[in-house]
Amino acid sequence: MTDDKDVLRDVWFGRIPTCFTLYQDEITEREAEPYYLLLPRISYLTLVTDKVKKHFQKVMRQEEVSEIWFEYEGTPLKWHYPIGLLFDLHASNTALPWSITVHFKNFPEKDLLHCHSKDVIEAHFMACIKEADALKHKSQVINEMQKKDHKQLWMGLQNDKFEQFWAINRKLMEYPPEDSGFRYIPFRIYQATTERPFVQKLFRPIASGGQLHTLGDLLKDVCPSAVTSEDGEQKTQVMIHGIEPMLETPIQWLSEHMSYPDNFLHISIIPRPTD
Amino acid sequence: ESLDDSQVAEVCAAAEVIRYEYHVLYSSSYQVPVLYFRACFLDGRPLTLDEIWRSVHACYQARLLEGPWDTITQQEHPLLGQPFFVLHPCRTYEFMSSVLTGSQKEKRHTNYIILWLSTVGPVVGLNLPLSYAKLSAGKNTNA
Repeated sequence: MTDDKDVLRDVWFGRIPTCFTLYQDEITEREAEPYYLLLPRISYLTLVTDKVKKHFQKVMRQEEVSEIWFEYEGTPLKWHYPIGLLFDLHASNTALPWSITVHFKNFPEKDLLHCHSKDVIEAHFMACIKEADALKHKSQVINEMQKKDHKQLWMGLQNDKFEQFWAINRKLMEYPPEDSGFRYIPFRIYQATTERPFVQKLFRPIASGGQLHTLGDLLKDVCPSAVTSEDGEQKTQVMIHGIEPMLETPIQWLSEHMSYPDNFLHISIIPRPTD
Repeated sequence: ESLDDSQVAEVCAAAEVIRYEYHVLYSSSYQVPVLYFRACFLDGRPLTLDEIWRSVHACYQARLLEGPWDTITQQEHPLLGQPFFVLHPCRTYEFMSSVLTGSQKEKRHTNYIILWLSTVGPVVGLNLPLSYAKLSAGKNTNA
C-alpha cells in the first residue's frame, strides 16, 4: 500500500511543462526563440524563471528591459500564487505545454504585486506560513521556532530540497495528542469566474461530535455551488495539485498531505470539460 | 525673517501631493482588524514600497528598520484582488490586549476600532482627529 509520505513527495516534485514566448511588441535586436522549462507546481513564477529572463534579455537592449511579468491568454499571472494553482485555475484542461507570454514593459500596476527581489518572495512565503500557523496552532509552533528554522523552510523551497524543507515543516503538521487535528484548516478556494480573488473562512477539521470533516463538508459550507448540482449535472471540478480528490477525503488529511509549502490548501473550482 | 504670502505659495507648490486610500478589513486568521492602503501621486503614479517605507513617520522608522518585511508590504486585497500596502496584523493582538486590560481595570469606555486605528493609523499617515475620542452625551462609561 502506498505510504502517505509518498503523497508528500508526489506533491513536491510535480512539474508543468511550459513554453515561454516573448510578447510580440517587445523590441528586440534579433528574433527571440521560445524557451521551454519544467515548472515546479509548488514554487512561484518569479523564483524559478531567472533562466527565462536571461534568455530573452540576450536579444533585447538594456533600456527596453523593465520588471518582468507573465501573462496567459491576456490574463496577467499573479506571481504570488503558486504555479500549480495558476495552472489548475487557468489552463488545466488545455493541451500541454502551457504557453506563457513574457513581458518586460507596461507592468500592470493595478493587477500585479511588484517583485523586485527574492526578498519579496521570501517575505510573502513566510507571511503565508505564519498565517497558516495562526489558524492551525494560534501561532505557537511558528513562534517557538528559531530564525534559522524559518530560513530553512525558505531555503528548502528555493533550492528544491524536499528533506531540508520537511525536516522543519513536519513540526507545523503536528497537533497535541489530545486533539484530533488542527484548530482551523488553512485553505483558500479560487474560482476564475468570480470578482473576488478567493474565499477563505474559519473551518474546523473536527465536528462537535468528533467526526472528521471532509472536503465535501468544507465545500458545502464555503462554496455550495461546487458540490450541489443544479439539474443533476456537476458543472464544475474541484482540483488540488492537478487532481480531483474524492469529496469524502478528511480535510485534516488533505491539510497535512496536500498543502503547498506555504501550508495552505489552494483549491480551484473550474468548469468541467464538456467532451 | 517671516515669509510673505507669495513665498509661502512657492514652497507649497514644490511639495508633492500624495493621495491615500485606506481600507479597514477584518482578518479571520488573526482575528483582528487590518489596515490596507494605497497611495499615488496626483498624476496617478503609485508609490513604490521603498517610497512608502520612507514616508513612514520618523518616530516609527527605528521599528520599521528592525523588520521592514514584517511590517509593511504589498499584498493582494482579499476582496478586490488589487495590490495594496498592508500593515502586518501579527502584533495587533499583543498591543491591543495591554491597552484593553488597562482600560477595563479603570472601567473606562473603549471603542476597539478607534483604539486600534488611532494606534496603527499614524504609522502610515492616517491621523485620527481627537474628536473621535470624545464620549457622546449620555454614553455609558462601563466598558
